[in-house]
Amino acid sequence: MRAPWLWLLEKECRELVVSRAWWVLLFAMGPLVGVSFISAVRTYAEVSGLNGTSAGVGEALSPLVGVWAPAFSACELAAVFLLPFVAIRLLAGDRQSGGLKLESQQGMSPFARILVKAAVLVAGWLAAMLPPLSAILLWKSYGGQVYAPELITLGFGHVLNAGLTIGLAAAMAAIAEHPSTAAILTLGITVGTWIVSFFGAIQGGWWERAAGYTPAAMVAEFQHGLVRLDTVLVALVLTLTGLGVAAVWMRLGIGVRRRAFQSAAIGALAAASVFACTFARPSWDTSEARSNSFPEGDERALLQIHAPLRIEVHLAPEDPRRDDLEHRALSKLRRAMPNLEVRYVSATSIGLFEQTGAGYGEIRYELGGRRTMSRATTAEAVLEAIYSLAGVAPPAENEGAVFRGHPLAVAPKWAGTIFYGVWPGLILAGAILTRKRFQ
Amino acid sequence: MNTSPQRSAVLFEVSGLSKRFGRIAALTEVSFQVRAGEVLGLIGPNGAGKSTLFECLAGMLPRDSGAIGAGGRPVGSRELSSLLFYIPDNIAPWPAQSVRWALDFTIGFLGGRADLREEAIERLDLAELLRQPVGALSKGQRKRVLLAIGLLTPQPALLVDEPFEGLDLRQARDTATALRTHAARGRTLFLSIHQIGEAARFCDRFVLLSAGRVRGEGTVEELAALAAARDRSKPCQDLEEVFLALT
Repeated sequence: MRAPWLWLLEKECRELVVSRAWWVLLFAMGPLVGVSFISAVRTYAEVSGLNGTSAGVGEALSPLVGVWAPAFSACELAAVFLLPFVAIRLLAGDRQSGGLKLESQQGMSPFARILVKAAVLVAGWLAAMLPPLSAILLWKSYGGQVYAPELITLGFGHVLNAGLTIGLAAAMAAIAEHPSTAAILTLGITVGTWIVSFFGAIQGGWWERAAGYTPAAMVAEFQHGLVRLDTVLVALVLTLTGLGVAAVWMRLGIGVRRRAFQSAAIGALAAASVFACTFARPSWDTSEARSNSFPEGDERALLQIHAPLRIEVHLAPEDPRRDDLEHRALSKLRRAMPNLEVRYVSATSIGLFEQTGAGYGEIRYELGGRRTMSRATTAEAVLEAIYSLAGVAPPAENEGAVFRGHPLAVAPKWAGTIFYGVWPGLILAGAILTRKRFQ
Repeated sequence: MNTSPQRSAVLFEVSGLSKRFGRIAALTEVSFQVRAGEVLGLIGPNGAGKSTLFECLAGMLPRDSGAIGAGGRPVGSRELSSLLFYIPDNIAPWPAQSVRWALDFTIGFLGGRADLREEAIERLDLAELLRQPVGALSKGQRKRVLLAIGLLTPQPALLVDEPFEGLDLRQARDTATALRTHAARGRTLFLSIHQIGEAARFCDRFVLLSAGRVRGEGTVEELAALAAARDRSKPCQDLEEVFLALT
């Protein structure tokens, strides 16, 4: 005899399979991945020297950045614009049909019921990720290089992102009376996270810190092969929060005021958990190009420095040099030196009228009471300043360890047929057969 | 109909149940008893609060005040789900799934009685519908499927909102027979019926509800006596007349 939750799992799987929204998601994934994969492979080929163009070097020829990040970006698009409808359909369908009223009398906890739905939605999302995964096979067939850790990281990032969407859509579907309201709220909150990113880029400070945990920023990290424990934990906390709020609002027989209090309590707990998670330091660079790390020799040299390092950067949030410094040097430095404190100082957001100020553009370093100043924003300059302060000899350059990339000058053969023809055809056939079976 | 339930034990009792929707009082101080093995009819016109009462009893709507008790102690929400099962009116659960699957799901997920499956299919004439999706059924067919789901559930009390709504004369008669047979096995049926004539033929006892208040509770004879005492007239055995006299 099957356990009740297995019956529920079967029921949710059947509901997903009859959901038109899910079939639309599956159908759309083929062309979406096709467009980005084909154009990425063509660009990669051009950079690799196809048609007599000069061969590129380094990161430009990393398949992660050149092919997989754009090919998998279809997942990001689908997670924002298509997956919410699938999740809302699965969540709100029971309430609209009246099935919820019967199921709720079974006695199973609402959170367990929501978890089963979420598990089925994640499975449905994994099925939708088959086109980008099949792109990997195509790439291999072209003779392309595949580095599994960075691909696993990228896939994991998109599953986490989908989890966030599912949590958000579940909460909205449970709170809103009507699915269309839930869809508007879900998209509204997604757009809200883009606004946070925009403010983060302009205002800096706490906005910038919050923007680092938006889905778009999270996916961008995974696209570069970086796994940060704090990002993963925050994503999991937010997903569970969405599911928890959904469980509160899917419970029948509870007054609105009590539900609102319970939701607020969950929100407060989530805020505290997110705050705690931001202190989690471990991170892993899974990219073959080590694009999130300094060369190994430098990392070993930095490990010898135990004194706290303080860096004061006098650059405005919108100054491109600040972005350069952050992404090329400081983000790597944070991973290598846990005892690092970075402080950005600026009077305005654009820095246009601060340029003439005496201290503007300065990067001030302080290590064990010794100070130095520099204006250079490259990784090499930052490392040089730190080594000179610490009295550590810079490591010798190891030419052999430098990532040279994997040039591949091939045309994306069969990709159009597979993503524009075979995949949509299979999905159409599957949808028709399923429809026939259920009628 | 059967008058023996007068002497049967109380399965659960409702006392002082009230429910408001903003300024509207849907239920006011509703109190009555449900006895084991009886067929109890909840009678009242449209808008009397019958569905609201059922939803409050089943824990689907929060009640403002009042309690449900069994064996002299209050029944908690967890115990409630093992005491009664409620079939709402006008729902089409799992619309894309077949009737056969809906019945199997009832047995598997809701802990229904597998031994009653074939009987429920036969008595409610569902054999022809087993392969059809629930969402494709007519109102009457859907009602019969919902009743089958209710008959399969294991709780000692079954609450059904408008069990004969949407059924034609023959179907209503067959359904009544099916419900009677089911009740004869000892299951308590609590049915909300707005057609008083149908209720009079089918139920053992009645709770008369009007404008959210209980106007009377008992057998036709007891209610007739109550109405006669109130009007100081001769008791009338017609439930419709009794209802009009008490509301």
